[in-house]
Amino acid sequence: MLTGAEWAVIGLSLKVSLVAVLATLPVAYGLAWLLARRRFPGRLLLDAAVHLPLVLPPVVTGWLLLLLFGRAGPVGGWLEAQWGVGLVFRWTGAALAAAVMALPLMVRAMRLSIEAVDRRLVEAARVLGASPARAFATITLPLSAPGIAAGAVLGFARSLGEFGATITFASNIEGETRTLPLAIYTGLQLPGAEGAVARLAVIAILLSLGALLASEWLVRRSMGQRAHVL
Amino acid sequence: MSSPRLQRLCTAVATALLGASIALLAACTGGGDARAEGPVVLAAASLQEALSEVADAWQQGGEARPRLSFAASSALARQVEGGAPADLYFSADREWMDRLERAGLLRQGTRADLLTGELVLVARPGEQLQGIAALASGRVAVAEPASVPAGRYARAALERLDLWRTVEPRLVPTENVRAALALVERGEVPLAIVYATDDRASDAVGAVYRFPPESHPPIRYPVAVLAASDHPRAEAFRAFLTTPQAQRIFAAHGFGIAR
Amino acid sequence: MSFKVRLRLAVGGRTIALDLASQARLTALVGPSGAGKTSVLNAIAGLARPREGRIAVGGTVLFDSAAGVDLAPERRRAGYVFQDLRLFPHLRVAQNLAYGERIAQPERRWAGREDLIALLGIGHLLRRWPATLSGGEARRVAIGRALLAAPDFLLLDEPTASLDPGRVEALLALVERIRDELAIPILLVSHDRAEVERLAGHVAHLP
Repeated sequence: MLTGAEWAVIGLSLKVSLVAVLATLPVAYGLAWLLARRRFPGRLLLDAAVHLPLVLPPVVTGWLLLLLFGRAGPVGGWLEAQWGVGLVFRWTGAALAAAVMALPLMVRAMRLSIEAVDRRLVEAARVLGASPARAFATITLPLSAPGIAAGAVLGFARSLGEFGATITFASNIEGETRTLPLAIYTGLQLPGAEGAVARLAVIAILLSLGALLASEWLVRRSMGQRAHVL
Repeated sequence: MSSPRLQRLCTAVATALLGASIALLAACTGGGDARAEGPVVLAAASLQEALSEVADAWQQGGEARPRLSFAASSALARQVEGGAPADLYFSADREWMDRLERAGLLRQGTRADLLTGELVLVARPGEQLQGIAALASGRVAVAEPASVPAGRYARAALERLDLWRTVEPRLVPTENVRAALALVERGEVPLAIVYATDDRASDAVGAVYRFPPESHPPIRYPVAVLAASDHPRAEAFRAFLTTPQAQRIFAAHGFGIAR
Repeated sequence: MSFKVRLRLAVGGRTIALDLASQARLTALVGPSGAGKTSVLNAIAGLARPREGRIAVGGTVLFDSAAGVDLAPERRRAGYVFQDLRLFPHLRVAQNLAYGERIAQPERRWAGREDLIALLGIGHLLRRWPATLSGGEARRVAIGRALLAAPDFLLLDEPTASLDPGRVEALLALVERIRDELAIPILLVSHDRAEVERLAGHVAHLP
């Protein structure tokens, strides 16, 4: 049904997306919490910056990543000189591109679920003797968990489909950065690759559909389990 | 504002927007008259500057300027197979032209080899690499070796020089030969294998090695009119490409003239 | 002195003022709806900051604007039974009960945990989820949770509101037992005269 090369592409896509989402989870949750619970100067700016990858053309995001993390860029150059770590042309670069594109979706989902946690419950925990950190860990975190899950699944789906930023920043290297969308694109550059393109496209549709359904279900669950006082 | 008035206002705005969209659409589709524009030429990426200049010269002769589309020859062949409404196909190798010919997509008698090329290894000036030894380390950008002509020539050359196995893991395949060039220009990659004409077109890189012509199949740029073309000036432009005026332009950009 | 509270507090758009000094075991705070009684409880618990004033319970100063004292809620050791109960929906009753208990120092914890649970009549509810409890059951669990955290004083906000008469009687009897058997000051907010008369040793009015 699927050739070995095609399975390899799917495997690479899953690896890249998984790493992207796991690495971004704490960052996304931290940002979500900041935006949900804290007031500070520049909050609106942070909110806008977080949402930028959602509205910017993906190639622009990829180009900005290149400026920063490319070999000639400030961060990329430093990484290369200090640690010998290169992101461009490597699956880690593809993961970075996917992570940046997935971040806004993850932050949104998590922020909604944190905001849905009734502050009065946190107050009750504080009065019972919990420090702010403990109250967060025992009340806010568990009650916003479905939002975390929904955000992760949504981020995963977005990562799987990420194309513009990936091909611009990490290039299109078979086995390293040629994720599912890039493989389909490469196939489209080639006469006679219809079969492979069709098979990969079906996989892409199934994966995206699955992720969307899972995310919807999780969101409904978090709404159903009202994180409110009785 | 009272509710019925607001509703009427909204309806008016919506109607106006709808009307404007329809008018815009009509204007766009209405402007698709091919006679007023030149023939569509699908050409290999490496021909960008030279062919544009030839098209300018054609236009100065009072003709409508040809519409040029540059991409990898493989991608263009796919578009032709897919029924793209083009008039000429100008490839960077014979294989893709052969494929279209076998599929009956070329107009009889219009195919010919026009140009020749050379393969070089380029790097940014200041890099300490010279000669074939430069390939010993560092990443090398090439056009996709499985399909794009420049990549196929590069692979053939590397295999002939017995370097394919050591260099292949360090290859960065790109969509077309110009993208490979761009990677070196930007400093993302130290080396690229491109055509001598690409090297000439770029100020930012220099050739550090010229691949011997025997190391790869001869680089030939064939051109043909497509069978599905109905543009009245397609064959005329095709003929123009062989005139001394056009050949001077190609030669000035570093191409050889096929005999 | 069990409660010595003097404060000015911004509530909604107004400022309310209270001056309360009581030696009684159970003090009632009464006033019309919307007077700000719950806000006063919140201020004592550390959930709202008064504009200025001084709050001392059982001799411990919890808040003093002049001296710059403002203890965080978790350090005030208040046992607060909220009017809206605020049981944690993601924890079973047993875990709700243990929430404050677990945080309290071992030597401070109630020795008579089983007795308290029996007194409250919630022993059979331990494995239940808060969402499945009746109003009266939930209220008793809330009281248990507050008490098991070994508080230094109790704040009860309308404990019998929206309970049917049978339950009200049981709850009042319970509060009486708590008042008489545990040596901690209790501040009760209520608008029910009979309740206040029965339980309170001192009544403060919030205008």
